[in-house]
Amino acid sequence: MPITSAPPEAAVLPRRNRKAQRGEARAGVLFALPWIIGMTLFVAIPLVVTFYIAQTKFQIIGAPKWVGMQNYEALWSDPAFWKSAQNTLIFAAISVPVKLIIALGLALLLNRATALSGFYRTVFYLPFLMPAVAGSVVFMLLLTPNAGPVNIALEAMGLNPPDWLLDPKAALWTLILLSLWPLGVETLVFLGGLQNIPKDVSEAADLDSPKRWHKLVWITLPLITPMVLFNLVIGIIYSFQVFTQAIVIGGTTGTPAEATLMYMVVLYRAAFRYFNMGLAAAMATVLFVVVLILTLLIFKTARSWVHYEGGET
Amino acid sequence: MSNTTFAVPRQISRRGFLASSAALGTAMVLPSGAFAQAEGQLLLWLPGGSELFCKIHTGLLEGFSAGASLGAATTVCGLGQDTEFTQSLIGAITAGNPPDISMLWDSPVSLGAQGAFMPLDDMMKGSKIPLETWPAGLLSSCQFKGVTYGLPITAGVYSMWYNEEMFEAKGIPSDRGSFPKTWDEMRKMSKEFTVWDGDKLVSAGFMPNRVPETMAIWSALNGGMMFDETNLKYQIDSEQNIEMMTFFLEWLDEEYKGDFNLVDRSGNFLDGYPNSTTGMGPAFREGRQAGMQSGSWLLGDIFADPVPSFERWNLAANPVGASGSSSVSGTWPNWFVIPVGSKNPQAAFDYLSYLAIEGSVQWYQQIPDVPTNSQVQRKAPAGLVEKRGQAVADDITAFLGEQAAVVTPMWNSPVQSFYTDQIARAVEKIYTKASPVKDALGEAQAATQAELERVLAG
Repeated sequence: MPITSAPPEAAVLPRRNRKAQRGEARAGVLFALPWIIGMTLFVAIPLVVTFYIAQTKFQIIGAPKWVGMQNYEALWSDPAFWKSAQNTLIFAAISVPVKLIIALGLALLLNRATALSGFYRTVFYLPFLMPAVAGSVVFMLLLTPNAGPVNIALEAMGLNPPDWLLDPKAALWTLILLSLWPLGVETLVFLGGLQNIPKDVSEAADLDSPKRWHKLVWITLPLITPMVLFNLVIGIIYSFQVFTQAIVIGGTTGTPAEATLMYMVVLYRAAFRYFNMGLAAAMATVLFVVVLILTLLIFKTARSWVHYEGGET
Repeated sequence: MSNTTFAVPRQISRRGFLASSAALGTAMVLPSGAFAQAEGQLLLWLPGGSELFCKIHTGLLEGFSAGASLGAATTVCGLGQDTEFTQSLIGAITAGNPPDISMLWDSPVSLGAQGAFMPLDDMMKGSKIPLETWPAGLLSSCQFKGVTYGLPITAGVYSMWYNEEMFEAKGIPSDRGSFPKTWDEMRKMSKEFTVWDGDKLVSAGFMPNRVPETMAIWSALNGGMMFDETNLKYQIDSEQNIEMMTFFLEWLDEEYKGDFNLVDRSGNFLDGYPNSTTGMGPAFREGRQAGMQSGSWLLGDIFADPVPSFERWNLAANPVGASGSSSVSGTWPNWFVIPVGSKNPQAAFDYLSYLAIEGSVQWYQQIPDVPTNSQVQRKAPAGLVEKRGQAVADDITAFLGEQAAVVTPMWNSPVQSFYTDQIARAVEKIYTKASPVKDALGEAQAATQAELERVLAG
């Protein structure tokens, strides 16, 4: 018996339909073209150029000169690279989870329907609107050792406050503390997730157990894991790129005693203070690879702990 | 019957939209060329400074251009200090549209050695400002391998500032000639003024140096150097420099409880200005600090808020270290360069010649940046004459002129910023006891020498 198979669907489509489909596809590409051009010009090409410059000696003035892996070798033996990487890792490892926990706590509070809900939501978002430089300067004034209001208040309580930004042992922790201040975006993302939890599920959980923490652990948290994933990935990316607060507070040398020397500050000073674009590009490449690996790892583990309502992972 | 026709509104096609966008983009880009530098019209960039600073330079350039029939001149002020300004300048140079002249507040050597600035040696020959009219130590801040990439038209000159009234209250002679000649004498005298109330420093004499930029002066005062320009070798961990930092550290421990944080919590004992972050007033102006090293730019600011709590202060030569033999001075110049790509290089150089001799006199009278060319007939700053009288103002002007002639070479490295950061790092490590003197200076030496060799390679 001859085996016959149905002709492909496209083959039986009337010619007019195929033409319309092609036209639609062309229009789709054209509408996406501005984004594609922008992505190519401002992301893809610079990325490739960065990989190239990382293997050159390039001082901005004059043409790049190929040096192979020399810039990576220079990084390997540069104490500033390791010190800044260590500071940045500590910063990320502490600030990201603490930020997530506080933002979740705030979102849980803001999720309660009260007369002032809208007001509080606005207030908690406001710090995000303040420029990071201005925010850093305000904190520097607040934390001034002898005349700052924070130390005056602590001393009035009989405590012995630290030199927040002058003591090498305290400065990095102060920087981490400052990073916890603008929590508006993370809180809003969590709040959006909380408000999407179906009411019937929430009410059923209330009936099943009167204990609130049961509801939080077994119902609320699993239902907002997509938001946790989003905040975690974005938080890690941002924390590895912490720059503005670090350079305002510690300058290009990470004062005091390199305690606030962050990876992006070392990258910036290599590029725009020492004009060593090759080394800066090598640092950017290393950062890109590290963040990419971390992000992929998180996405891989996310299959086991992120719950999507539609069952997708 | 009428032949009137009505235009029917047309829908814009995608092709039409793209064409319109391209036309609009071109229309926006083209006029920017109109603001580019033009031949015969000088364009000057200034990194920052006050409104008065900008006004002085605008007036000087306009006056010169009018006299030389060069047409309208443009002075662009306040393009940002330090790194931001350098970025703007490099951007303009690489884009092929730089200013004709630029002032710099950072050494021109590093960018000059990379080909960003025009060599001036040929233009200087036979001009009003030949090489021999500049103090060698000062001009070396613009030279690399014998090529001159800029001119230090004026400079802030570093010397010791002291409060005559505090000296006299302790029965110490306050004339310049009696000022301590050695570091040991200065340290001994310093103790006379230093008073602690618990952990608060009430008043102080002098402070061990911790300013990275001036470390080259202190090194030279101790018979050393930070950078050997001739042999292209850094000397950061030389015996003289180890001795210098050990002396400072022992001084800190003995007189200031070994902790600069305690000093900083008590007031601003670092320079003669209010601390821009903490808001703490300058201890020197408050009459709580007997003396300090500072640049001559303070002459223009010392009478401003906060007004000193005393009337009489004076300047003296920097004292000499145990291994040093004679006093030297140092500067932070106002450098001028002609970027590669300038459309009017000869007119730009002519302006620099004018500025170096005639212009700097007017400049110094309003803002006391010391004219450095040996041909300049300096007149005392008007503000200083008004506050301290003609005799004192003339004496200070003459003293600064003498100091400008004994400047030690500094700012002369092609990796100046890298070196400054390494010194800052080493000094912090030493003073916070994070690293012994020898190790901290050794690390700075190794890193800076490696960076120098990297930059010079190829």
